[in-house]
Amino acid sequence: MKSGRCAAVFLAVLGLAAAARAQELSVSLAAGYFRASEEAYRGIYGPSLPFSADIWLKLRGPFGLGAGVATLGDKGKAVPMGEDGAEYPIKFRRASIPVVVFFQFDLKVVDIRLGAGMCAHRYEETWATVDLGFKGNKVSPRFFATASAAMIGRLSFFGSATYDTIPTGAGSPLVNEVNLGGVQILGGISFRIF
Amino acid sequence: MKSARIFVSAVLMSCLLFLSSFPANRGPLSLIRIPKGPDLPSRALSRLQVDVRQELESCLLALADREDIARLRRNGVRFSVLARNAAEGDILVVRTDSPGALAALRSAGKAVVVEQGTAVFWTETGSPAEAVPAGLPRKVLSSRTVRMGFRPAASAARPASRAVAQDPLIDMIVDLVSTPNLSSGVQSLQDFQTRYASTSNCEASGQYIYNAFSGLGLDDVRFEPFTFSGSYSSRNVVAEKTGETYPDDIVIICAHYDSTSPPASRLTLAPGADDNASGTAAVLEAARVLASYPLDFTVRFIAFSAEEWGLYGSRAYATAAGLAGERIIGVINLDMIAFADAMPEDLQVIVNPASGWLADRFLDAASLYGPLGATKTIDASFVYSDHAPFWDGGYPALLAIEDDPLTNPYYHQTTDTLDKLNLDFITSATRASLGLLAELAQPLREGYPKTPVGLAATPVVYSSLFSALLSAVRVTWSAQPDAAGYNVYRTNSSHLDYVKVNDSPVVGTTYSDADVRMDLSYYYVVTAVGATGLESNRSREAAASPSISPATAAIRTLSLPTLGGGR
Repeated sequence: MKSGRCAAVFLAVLGLAAAARAQELSVSLAAGYFRASEEAYRGIYGPSLPFSADIWLKLRGPFGLGAGVATLGDKGKAVPMGEDGAEYPIKFRRASIPVVVFFQFDLKVVDIRLGAGMCAHRYEETWATVDLGFKGNKVSPRFFATASAAMIGRLSFFGSATYDTIPTGAGSPLVNEVNLGGVQILGGISFRIF
Repeated sequence: MKSARIFVSAVLMSCLLFLSSFPANRGPLSLIRIPKGPDLPSRALSRLQVDVRQELESCLLALADREDIARLRRNGVRFSVLARNAAEGDILVVRTDSPGALAALRSAGKAVVVEQGTAVFWTETGSPAEAVPAGLPRKVLSSRTVRMGFRPAASAARPASRAVAQDPLIDMIVDLVSTPNLSSGVQSLQDFQTRYASTSNCEASGQYIYNAFSGLGLDDVRFEPFTFSGSYSSRNVVAEKTGETYPDDIVIICAHYDSTSPPASRLTLAPGADDNASGTAAVLEAARVLASYPLDFTVRFIAFSAEEWGLYGSRAYATAAGLAGERIIGVINLDMIAFADAMPEDLQVIVNPASGWLADRFLDAASLYGPLGATKTIDASFVYSDHAPFWDGGYPALLAIEDDPLTNPYYHQTTDTLDKLNLDFITSATRASLGLLAELAQPLREGYPKTPVGLAATPVVYSSLFSALLSAVRVTWSAQPDAAGYNVYRTNSSHLDYVKVNDSPVVGTTYSDADVRMDLSYYYVVTAVGATGLESNRSREAAASPSISPATAAIRTLSLPTLGGGR
């Protein structure tokens, strides 16, 4: 907990320092589609609907920093291996906090960002009717591209494509080592603060 | 000139390509010692393809080339190199816990201690089996990678005292054991003067055993020849009574018939009455008694040769059985079962961890049918008799022996003769061994339903990404025409302490056992119940464990730490 607080303070200081040198600050809200890399994940939960809120700081020059928070929740059923007609509903939740750097191309109608960074994930899978479940944390790399096009005033259309790889080191009879990563495509709006 | 160079280069390149297309041979092999520990699961070693040739209580002995050694280092496996350029088959494991044994061994060749009381031994020239000082028990390394036992899977603890019931049919069978037969069997073998493997007398004694088996009306009697220690050859004698219900499931009772004595006399005089005419006579007597009983499971009666040289006969047999994929339920090895230093003498039953159930069953049989006191010892390092090559093959096997350490002053002497033996003790030991053999092989009973076949136990597992739930075990079997119903028995310890799980006989050929947990293994047997209530023998055991389930290829490695983890 102490290290978490230290990291938060460090990020805040870094953010303020960056903001002081910032050329542009914007926030974005987006939702969309997540396709897991893991076949077993897709089999149980299907496609998912993730949400994300991010803050983007463009520094002097083409570089910038981004951070945010994202959530993802799914419902499915445990996969039977054998036949006895029972059903076990299960739920999955993942919360992620990305910290990224990006390179921004300022084109005439759209701004495009390409970047990479690290993302801290907290995930939990629970069985609804039996006392079974699993929780875990993982910090893993993230790669992304965003595009925003001016709409009205400071509002812009916002879209992003993100790739995560999240090897958890844990598994089950269904899959040796679960990777929670995948590709997500989000759409939403972006608001430029300055 | 230039075109000639091009031609020569092309030929050389072709030769190189041709040679490189052959699979690379293993380079010079080193003998390495890998200490056992909780951080060294057998699965990890299998994954690293370690060529383990001997499992001992505290360590493993393996052959490794440079590539293997590099792989072990990369994966952080601790090991030490005992011998470089170790040739397969030329290395013996020798027991060195007697005073002066290690010094004597070192004066005969190269010896390295691998754990307390155990050394590996080899010679740079000549046969190490002939160089080992007389009297030191020895075993040649397995000729192929051993299947490691380590500790058996977690199971419910066995109650210290349990009610075991005598079976009247088996009691009747063991009552047929004849002390005069045992005595004359020992005498006949002793009369060959020596049975030291490599002598013609040993071969003649093998012929005597063959003839004795042949006169019993068994289904098959054969010699199985093998070579050992370079240019020597000898023969195991194998007799079979084929099972009527499960002909491919085999129970073995065995003993070695070769003998030894000090080097000056062993080619001419090695009577070996206790070691091991006693065990061989017991095997012959068990064959005589069981020959007339139809059985569910196949029984093999085996007399091994060249045990005293380093278990060469049983190694040849167990290696062939493993290569043929034979299903061996259990091996009862009798070696020195007739000398009693004090009465009442009890029998030592020595097993490795994976064979613990067999010793428990022997102890039950000893108290019921001996009657005889018996003590169970789990010691994977006691590899100095013919049970050990079966351990190497992953088969359950026990050694029944009068004492450990041995107290027989005539051991490996020219004075090991019948007059030193206790006939009451050998009779009780034979009755106990036959009792267990009959329990495992299951004599058929007239008027009773036939033993069920086709048993399968399939775990029904539900899995999420991170957790799994064993919902039920589905037990199925084939219908028996003379059955009005079936009883299903279950245990968590293979072959031990079955408990009936159905309240009334099951009608049909399926039973779903829902009272199960993910962290346990389950073993099932089924009996058929006739219209008059008579119950058949038990079927072959079927195991159901999520980690060994054939239910689906999707079940890979069961990651137990994730089960319910984090909650």
